Amino acid sequence: MDLKEQKKQTITFAIWGGIIIATVLLVTTIWVSNNARIGTNQAVNQVSEFYLEELAGRRARVVSEDLKNSFMHMKSALEILDESNLKSQETLRSFLGKVRKLYNVDKFALVDDNGIVYTEHSTVSGLSRYSFLSEDLTKPVIRTSNLYGAKKQVILAMPVEDIFFQKSKIKVCFIQLNIDEMLSSLTLQTSDNETYCNLYYRNGASLTNSDFGRLEGGTNLLAALADADMGNGSSYTQLKDDFTNGRSGQTSFKYQGTQEDLCYLPVEGTNWMMTILIRDNVISNQISSISSEMMRHSIIQIIITVIAMLIVFLGLIHQSRKNAKLLLEQEKADGNRIRAALTQLEREQMAMKNIQAAMGSGPWSMEFNKKGEMISCTWTDTFRKMLGYESEGDFPNKLESWSDLIHIEDKDRIMEEYWDTVKDYTGQKTYDVQYQILTRDAGWRWFHSAGRLSRREDGSPITFVGLFVDINDEKEMAQQLEKQKTDLQDALAAAQHANKAKTTFLNNMSHDIRTPMNAIIGFTSLAAAHIDNTEQVQDYLAKITTSSNHLLSLINDVLDMSRIESGKVKIEEKETSLPEIMHDLKTIVQADITSKQLDFYIDTADVIHEHVLCDKLRLNQVLLNLLSNAMKFTKPGGIVSVRILEKGTASDGCVSYEFQIKDTGIGMSKEFQKHVFEPFEREKTSTISGIQGTGLGMAITKNIVDMMGGSISVSSEEGKGTTFTVSLQFKTHSGSVQQEAIPQLKGLRALVTDDDFNTCSSVTKMLSTIGMRPDWTTSGKEAVLRTKLAWEQNDNYAVYIIDWLMPDMNGVEVVRRIRRIIGEETPIIILTAYDWSDIEEEARKAGVTAFCSKPIFLSELREILEAPYAIQSAEIQTSENDNSFTGKKILLVEDNELNQEIAVEILQEAGFILDVADDGSVAVDKMKSAAPGQYDLILMDIQMPILNGYEATKQIRSLENPAFTDIPIIAMTANAFDEDKKAALDAGMNGHIAKPIDVPELMDLLKIMLNPV
Amino acid sequence: MLKKLQNKISIYFILTALSCTCSLALAGCGHKTDNKTSSASNLESNSGNYEDTENAVHFDHKLEEYQPLKKKYNFYFTYKMVHPWWDAVALGIEDAAKQYEEAGTIINYEYLAPNAVSARNQIQHLKEAAGQNFDVIGVDVADTALVTPTINTLIEAGKKVMTFSSSDASKEDGCKRIAYVGNTHNYQDGADLTEALCEKLDYQGKVALLVGTKGAPCHEDRALGAQDVITKYPDMKIVETAYDEDSVENAYQYTQKFLAKHSDLDGIICCNMSNPVGAARAVIEAGREEKIMIVGMDHDQEALQYLRDGVIYALGVQDCYSIGFDTVQVAVKIADGLTPGEAYPEKTEEITTIIYQDGASAMLQTLYGEID
Repeated sequence: MDLKEQKKQTITFAIWGGIIIATVLLVTTIWVSNNARIGTNQAVNQVSEFYLEELAGRRARVVSEDLKNSFMHMKSALEILDESNLKSQETLRSFLGKVRKLYNVDKFALVDDNGIVYTEHSTVSGLSRYSFLSEDLTKPVIRTSNLYGAKKQVILAMPVEDIFFQKSKIKVCFIQLNIDEMLSSLTLQTSDNETYCNLYYRNGASLTNSDFGRLEGGTNLLAALADADMGNGSSYTQLKDDFTNGRSGQTSFKYQGTQEDLCYLPVEGTNWMMTILIRDNVISNQISSISSEMMRHSIIQIIITVIAMLIVFLGLIHQSRKNAKLLLEQEKADGNRIRAALTQLEREQMAMKNIQAAMGSGPWSMEFNKKGEMISCTWTDTFRKMLGYESEGDFPNKLESWSDLIHIEDKDRIMEEYWDTVKDYTGQKTYDVQYQILTRDAGWRWFHSAGRLSRREDGSPITFVGLFVDINDEKEMAQQLEKQKTDLQDALAAAQHANKAKTTFLNNMSHDIRTPMNAIIGFTSLAAAHIDNTEQVQDYLAKITTSSNHLLSLINDVLDMSRIESGKVKIEEKETSLPEIMHDLKTIVQADITSKQLDFYIDTADVIHEHVLCDKLRLNQVLLNLLSNAMKFTKPGGIVSVRILEKGTASDGCVSYEFQIKDTGIGMSKEFQKHVFEPFEREKTSTISGIQGTGLGMAITKNIVDMMGGSISVSSEEGKGTTFTVSLQFKTHSGSVQQEAIPQLKGLRALVTDDDFNTCSSVTKMLSTIGMRPDWTTSGKEAVLRTKLAWEQNDNYAVYIIDWLMPDMNGVEVVRRIRRIIGEETPIIILTAYDWSDIEEEARKAGVTAFCSKPIFLSELREILEAPYAIQSAEIQTSENDNSFTGKKILLVEDNELNQEIAVEILQEAGFILDVADDGSVAVDKMKSAAPGQYDLILMDIQMPILNGYEATKQIRSLENPAFTDIPIIAMTANAFDEDKKAALDAGMNGHIAKPIDVPELMDLLKIMLNPV
Repeated sequence: MLKKLQNKISIYFILTALSCTCSLALAGCGHKTDNKTSSASNLESNSGNYEDTENAVHFDHKLEEYQPLKKKYNFYFTYKMVHPWWDAVALGIEDAAKQYEEAGTIINYEYLAPNAVSARNQIQHLKEAAGQNFDVIGVDVADTALVTPTINTLIEAGKKVMTFSSSDASKEDGCKRIAYVGNTHNYQDGADLTEALCEKLDYQGKVALLVGTKGAPCHEDRALGAQDVITKYPDMKIVETAYDEDSVENAYQYTQKFLAKHSDLDGIICCNMSNPVGAARAVIEAGREEKIMIVGMDHDQEALQYLRDGVIYALGVQDCYSIGFDTVQVAVKIADGLTPGEAYPEKTEEITTIIYQDGASAMLQTLYGEID
């Protein structure tokens, strides 16, 4: 059979095949469609029956529910009907109207026993219109009314009791509903869907005027269907019987040539029948339409399928011919390409090998089965050589040969990376790692390894190929660079920190040192100016000493400040006299007060505990800081005041105090007040005004107050002034000040005159405490007048306490005038915050008995008044033990000549015999050669050349001569910190005294050391 | 003989004159020229026109374009007695009030009557109503002579009084009421019905006359109309007259008596709504419905059913609904101070349509939605 014949046969076969398939499809489709139509018909009939029943049931329930609800509405309305609604026709109509609207009914009415019907807008006689009104209703009833005008109404009525309106008894309440409206929501008629719904009485009479299929509105259903052609299985008798007995059912009939299906069921609570009627042709037309449509679609589908099949056949034949030709050409072209590719591949492999050799990289490869298990591992010779191995015998082709050599710190990471790459079936992950590995000859070295996997279609690995490169030199260089960078950053941070610390330090120094230094310089100048007045110079020197001591304290503090941040500064509680603190404070600032021409007030209030345990230095520092600021920011003529108040006992053995530092200076803005205690904060106005300050003062103050467990607050108003309040709590030391009355003064009068009300108040209180009858006045002139009055009444003042500087009359002048009245005997005390030395002579001439410095404390006032009304001259009491050091021998070990001179001078003046050693080694030598009893004590400097104080002490303690092993050694050094004291004691010394030397302290210590018992 | 002939001629002359007078009176009575009056009683044929039946009662009333001056009105209406006929009027009043409410005007009203006709009772009601603040008082006059003085007193006291529905008390009666809405042609209605009966009886036979309430102008007028027509035909004779006081039961009993007394009774003329029902019941009971022709008034459903069933020959149906509807419209205008003239006529006439057996079903459907 030749090719042509074969081709012809194939075509013939294809054509006949197509025809047979098309025929089979056509026949099958017709058969299926026919069956479908029959099935659909039956199903639709069944469904429509069910649907009709369901439809009628739902509507019947709706009607029944509507009726029930209406009765409920009536009941509810009657329940809320009260006397106010029945007051008049108007109120009743209003009520009925509201109810009608609320329940949306045609009419809501009440009927009285005369048959008068009351509605929203009318009062009508209703006996003839509403037949049920002639009945004696005992229960709710449903009536229908066929009104004139064919208006069919449903009336729901119920009996009413105990309601009277205008002397008539309300007998019935009813609601009138329009049936057509009630059914309007239930109707189904549309232009395309001939389905009807209606209500009938059980006798077949229509409740509505609506058309029901072919039946006109109002037609009796049973009467109409008596002549109808009832369908198979349906009977008129059954229908009538069902209606009469209120049973549900379905029937079909032909009425006026139309086949219809009727479903009916009783409406609960009524004698009505709910009916649904659907025309048979609605269903059959739908089914026919569906079937015809299905058939038409099927035929079109078959034709399209056959045409499509033919087109596909022809297309396939054409394509197969075309493909055969193309395949031949493709094969030729592929052969050429493969050959060229192989050549290219060989060239590239060669090139790759060269590159790898040039890069010094060692390739490796692994093979995997379909399960992803490794089936071979190949380490190339280059790879082995990079690790120091020569052959496969030394380094077998297995994974462990390599993995066992990985550094322990890297191993987990590398192996995880390796297996994650192998198991990543998406093929997105790449293997690219750096790690240390132990080489055979060169120890641990860094390598870079990278590889890729070829995978099967399911993603499982086939071959893992990678390169291995030695990166040790690069790695070391990078680490070195990183270290250098870190070192540089640390160095920079340290330098910045040091620089900042230095700046802070200098700022603190500048701020805190200036104030006492100013006092020292000021009083030194004053002393030089009054060098001939010994008493005055002594006073200045005392004040210089006070300021110097404070300055020294500040230097210590400045040094301590560097340790504040590290928490090394500690509050040292010692017995402290508050009067002493306040007086010292006044002394320190007095020079500034005078030079700045400020008014200064300092006073106390209710202070009865004058001795407390506190860190005097820190408290001083706090108050001085605040006072300095007050002075700094107050213009000449302004007022600066300090007040100490005792706020009562806080807890066992503790007392609370409040220190108020007030000024009438420039004040602070609200915003700045929030930051005033932060470091380096300065109010803008203060910088503009050129007032100096570092901004550290308040921060230091706040830190100290915090450390003392207290609090500090500020209230300020720009342009008006500032008040700082420091609240602190201290342990009391010696209980309260004696508060008993002074017998000699008990009941006597006293007059306090001071332009500062606070002073008047506090001094008056104190005088009352000691038993006097005090009066007070803020006017000098009034004081004179009161004196005159007292004199005339023969009730003189026994004591006068008068301020020096008062605005209306100078205190001295007041004294002078009082003296003219009372004579010379009565004590008059001048109370002042200022240095009275310049006016003392004049004042005494005027009649002043004594001077007293503000602030005055109770103990001080008591002391003055208890004395015979005269101030005792301040004689320097010589110590009872002045001569107790006479003959005592001290070895002074001090390398500094100036210090040697000072110490020698002080000690010799105290009666000591001194021997001096210039450094530690000389002292040790002297002790080695000393006879027993040659020295009673050694004063040892610490920082000395050749041998320092610690070493010298150790050597002295280790001498064989037992007479000197116990000799008291006192460190006398500028190393003044606590740790320095500890180091001295650790080295074997017995005590520590800091430079500059506090002479009384030194003497006290020497007394203790030399008289241990 | 000649004398008899002269007498006959005289009678014919008088009848002819009366007939002409009646015709003239009909024309001059002012029967409306619109579709209402055009559908007045048909004397030409006893075959009722369906179109007439359809137009017998107008339920499609819409308010006139007149804009009431107030937002709220308070009316008082009193009528003769509690009876379904006035319930039909009440429906017209009710619907008018509804339409006013929809247009923003509230109509409050009282529509009260005694259970039996009583002019005294009506006077009492009117006096009580005068003491209240009604904008207009409407009265369906129970007895012209008795009630007119009271109406006049109220008018003189400044009250606005109108008459409505079935019975007027007109100026001619000395009444000063402002306007009337209702049937103005009761005499003619009585005459028309009787004419129809006479025609049916071929102008010979004995008839009984049932009237409603004694003294009620409408009833009396109809009776008069009937009597005048019977007088026209020498072979016709009213053998019995009775007043049922608007009671069906009374009408029934009177008819029973008529039937018992007159075995050759050919017809019964009924002048109100209760008459034909009672008469038909008695006739059916006596099994003489084929023999006795009944004509009557009004639209009682039972009466219409008897008409449909051939027991009653003809019924004069009044447009009660329109009476009620128009009464409210006129009352609003009176309350607003308008006087009869352009705004409304002094007498607003409502139609009466005589219907026969072939129009009964349509009427039943129209009025009561009833289908055979």
